[in-house]
Amino acid sequence: MPQDAVSQGTVPQDAVPSIPVSRDEGCPGPGPDAPLGLLGQVLRECAADRRSGTLRVLGEPGGTVHIADGGVTSIETPGAPGPEVVLVRSGRVAESAWAAAFTAAAADGRMAAELVRRELVGHGELEALLRTVLADAMFTLASGEVDQCRMEPPAAACLLPLEPPAEPGWLLAETSRRHQVLASLPSPVGHDRDRVTRGPAAIAPLDGRQDEILALANGRRTARDMAFVLGCGVYALTLEFARMRESGLLAVGSRRQAGNSTPGRPDPRAGRPVSDSPVPDSSGPDGSGPDGSGPDGHDPADSTTGPGAAPALPRRRKANPGQPRSGPTAVAQGGASALLRLLRPGPVADHNAGQ
Amino acid sequence: MVEGVRAAALVDIGTGMVVRSVGDVNDDLPAAAARLADEARLASHALGPARPGGDLEELTLVTDKRIHLLKVLELRRGDGLLLFVDLDRSLTNPALAGWTVGELAPGLLA
Repeated sequence: MPQDAVSQGTVPQDAVPSIPVSRDEGCPGPGPDAPLGLLGQVLRECAADRRSGTLRVLGEPGGTVHIADGGVTSIETPGAPGPEVVLVRSGRVAESAWAAAFTAAAADGRMAAELVRRELVGHGELEALLRTVLADAMFTLASGEVDQCRMEPPAAACLLPLEPPAEPGWLLAETSRRHQVLASLPSPVGHDRDRVTRGPAAIAPLDGRQDEILALANGRRTARDMAFVLGCGVYALTLEFARMRESGLLAVGSRRQAGNSTPGRPDPRAGRPVSDSPVPDSSGPDGSGPDGSGPDGHDPADSTTGPGAAPALPRRRKANPGQPRSGPTAVAQGGASALLRLLRPGPVADHNAGQ
Repeated sequence: MVEGVRAAALVDIGTGMVVRSVGDVNDDLPAAAARLADEARLASHALGPARPGGDLEELTLVTDKRIHLLKVLELRRGDGLLLFVDLDRSLTNPALAGWTVGELAPGLLA
């Protein structure tokens, strides 16, 4: 459950403020109906005021929320894999194909259109993936510790922004739903604390995903660690872990201590390769930081080197912030329009309009 | 176009999250979507790991007033997308609805 402190201020429109919020150990953690504390408050304010900017979330795992006209276009956090990792590590897009598209289009802000043009992913498929990745990032961000939120001017455009942006209300409601689901599970598993190992009932053959999980369950990986390796969502894996734990396929071997430094993933925007799994280090709040091993027990086999390791994704050149983005918005329109065609014409509303 | 459609939604199978929805949806849709995703996942598991008859493509639930179509658009090792269509049974029938939705479904991810 999220453990952020109570907000002590609001975000001025034009300043570059920090909202200094000290950790109040006496403040009770938010329950299932709580508005997700400081982060929720700030995002709702941004939505109400239709702000654009970069929201730095300081804490663990912390991260960066990119906001346009009050909506969220992307989130970068070491707590969950981004769209690039999900597309490549899941096997949807071959690494070589990704690299070619990246080389051709990333600097011009046309990555989404290029992926679709090369038929590496469809319009609707990409939109759906970006929304699920965004929701996963928000879940891990809001489930962690939020010490401070700092609004900054808009940063350079991210590689695969969601267009149109997602309403913060939808993201926050989905996060609350996930917290309620996890709280109701008979055999819950902490997504970033519980390291899993094979359980007594783990015998082959099993469902493809379960086999993958068991192959990686070496007593050192959490759901978050495994999400980066498999290129899937942290929350989805957490649910699967809980189901497998209940049926005896998985067991919790040990628990990562709270307060250990967040295993920071290199900030993709810094052009550093994405490693196979979070690398423990003294990372900054937005996930940037040096590579390195750490004392909190990350599996040294999760590495970009060595046999069987997933290769690093190509380095990203920073796009010129002053250069207008030329990516089409049709990426987001394909799926919704096709969905609407299922209905008879008339006064029906797309419930996601404006998101 | 499918006659009788009351609502439609794209649901992420791994999380039960509603990705997109249109039509006459109510506040229960998020919870219902999660249950539907569970149904698809359990049905897929019931086919067994070897899948001798192939992968799960569709589920149809019929009540006295409604038809609920669950069309698997993408299923990849536990992750994927489900198209949920809620139809008025008085305006269509399961076979016709399933065939028409099946014709339209590939375009949703294209």
